[in-house]
Amino acid sequence: MLRDITLGQYYQTESVIHKLDPRVKLLGTILFFISLFCFKNPVGYAIAIIFLAVVIFLSKVPFLYMIRGMKAIVVLMIITVLLNLFATKGDVVFSFWKISITKQGIIMAITIALRISLLIIGSSIMTLTTTPNHLTDGMEKGLRFLKVIKVPVHEIAMMMSIALRFIPILLEETDKIMKAQLARGADLESGNIFKRVKAMVPILVPLFISAFRRANDLAMAMEARCYHGGDGRTKMKPLKYQKRDAIAYIILFVYLAVSITLGRLWLFNIM
Amino acid sequence: MYLKTYLNYRNFLMGYKMDIVKAKNVLYEYIRRDDEGEVIGITTAVDHVNMDIKQGDFIAILGHNGSGKSTLAKHFNAILVPEEGTVIVDGVDTSEEDKVWDIRQNAGMVFQNPDNQIIGQVVEEDVGFGPENIGVPTEEIWERVEKSLKSVGMYEYRKNSPNKLSGGQKQRISIAGVLAMKPKCIILDEPTAMLDPKGRKEVLSAVHELNKKEGVTVILITHYMEEVIDADKVFVMDAGKVVMQGTPRQVFTLVDDLKSLRLDVPQVTLLAWELKKRGINLPDGILTSQELVDELTKLY
Repeated sequence: MLRDITLGQYYQTESVIHKLDPRVKLLGTILFFISLFCFKNPVGYAIAIIFLAVVIFLSKVPFLYMIRGMKAIVVLMIITVLLNLFATKGDVVFSFWKISITKQGIIMAITIALRISLLIIGSSIMTLTTTPNHLTDGMEKGLRFLKVIKVPVHEIAMMMSIALRFIPILLEETDKIMKAQLARGADLESGNIFKRVKAMVPILVPLFISAFRRANDLAMAMEARCYHGGDGRTKMKPLKYQKRDAIAYIILFVYLAVSITLGRLWLFNIM
Repeated sequence: MYLKTYLNYRNFLMGYKMDIVKAKNVLYEYIRRDDEGEVIGITTAVDHVNMDIKQGDFIAILGHNGSGKSTLAKHFNAILVPEEGTVIVDGVDTSEEDKVWDIRQNAGMVFQNPDNQIIGQVVEEDVGFGPENIGVPTEEIWERVEKSLKSVGMYEYRKNSPNKLSGGQKQRISIAGVLAMKPKCIILDEPTAMLDPKGRKEVLSAVHELNKKEGVTVILITHYMEEVIDADKVFVMDAGKVVMQGTPRQVFTLVDDLKSLRLDVPQVTLLAWELKKRGINLPDGILTSQELVDELTKLY
């Protein structure tokens, strides 16, 4: 039931990718994204696809499972592809009535489609192989340099992990409130969209009140246990780089260098 | 057990027990204001309370809703600071702001709602939260977590998510979380109010165990009479004042007074009291059914 929901989309298995330090995966994903926007020819994309395929293979997450994340953006992708296909000016390949398709348009559409799918799959590898907990830890430590420009990194990470802890509790509470309101004759299902949204008000109000109360209690409980921000705090499970993380970094930078140099060589340009 | 014996022995030698918590003339008021900031009402939650709590004791504070017992408890670890009077915890005045974290480490607090005080997403991480905050080195955190989880009997659950545990188990995790900070005193603010009878029993036996084996001072705030029977000393509060104090036996002898404070006595005590009123020759302050049976068999 509600209690058993898993957060994020973490896929539980044992693999090299799962064991990597979250900071490596975080930086890796960001660098992979950057590389995608640097390519000017198909060779770059080919290298990116091969790289991604190897990572997917190593992560032992079934490919179909990974593709599921794509479903949500299919519509967005079709719209962007069609827009690029019809709206790009250049050498006309095919024209019909007022619509004309150009060579540049075709190339652009393929590029965009490729980029979006690689972005989605790239980011889902990270969320599939890292627990939300680990991810916040990685963010806290990996982004610590942002503290120099006064970004409250520790606080943000703490907020994220508390949010993650309370999502199941609040879901359960929503369920309870819903049942309580239904028992008093609330009608949540009939009527048009406006009516249904309006019917949610008696659920949201008590939910918010209880969330604030919980927040207040939790803040007091945290203070009672000596929580006073990130300064002077030690870690029970500190992140430590292992040998495999060093290797992963090397592979990552080799990929970055190779793909961007080859991806930007005019030699392979087809436009 | 040994520790408590040792403490008693040491106290005997020294002639007195050390005060761990000392409340002197404590006053705390909740002030309600209207939109313009004008005072429209003052509720005196704690009204000139004096309380001495000795190291190693098991103390119970009783009172019905609104008697000020929770407000008083929050004074014991500097969540609230008295408006008048002083609270001294292990020799430190709670109004000293730079000592707040020492006080909170020495006097741990367990709250009523188990869900709203668990921070970690895994049991062991939650227990480690307190030691992390006070800057304990990593290896020692693991030792402390292991030890505190074992002492509340939750070690097998260390890798579980707190969401999947029962209320009693969650409350024991909270106790372990406080224990991992090595406090001298644990304050439990109605820890069993939201639990079923089974969970209540689990939590209480864990608390008693701590008091006996580790010698931790326990201050249990509750309105369940049954939980008070084994305490060393009981304080009864009403309208912000301490109206009765003494051993459970002394307090439960005064059935009429307790009734006038809208407090129930344990069922057995009530039965014995009613029997006595009907002319059966029983002693005052019977606390357990075994005692009642013994006394009755003596008579017939």
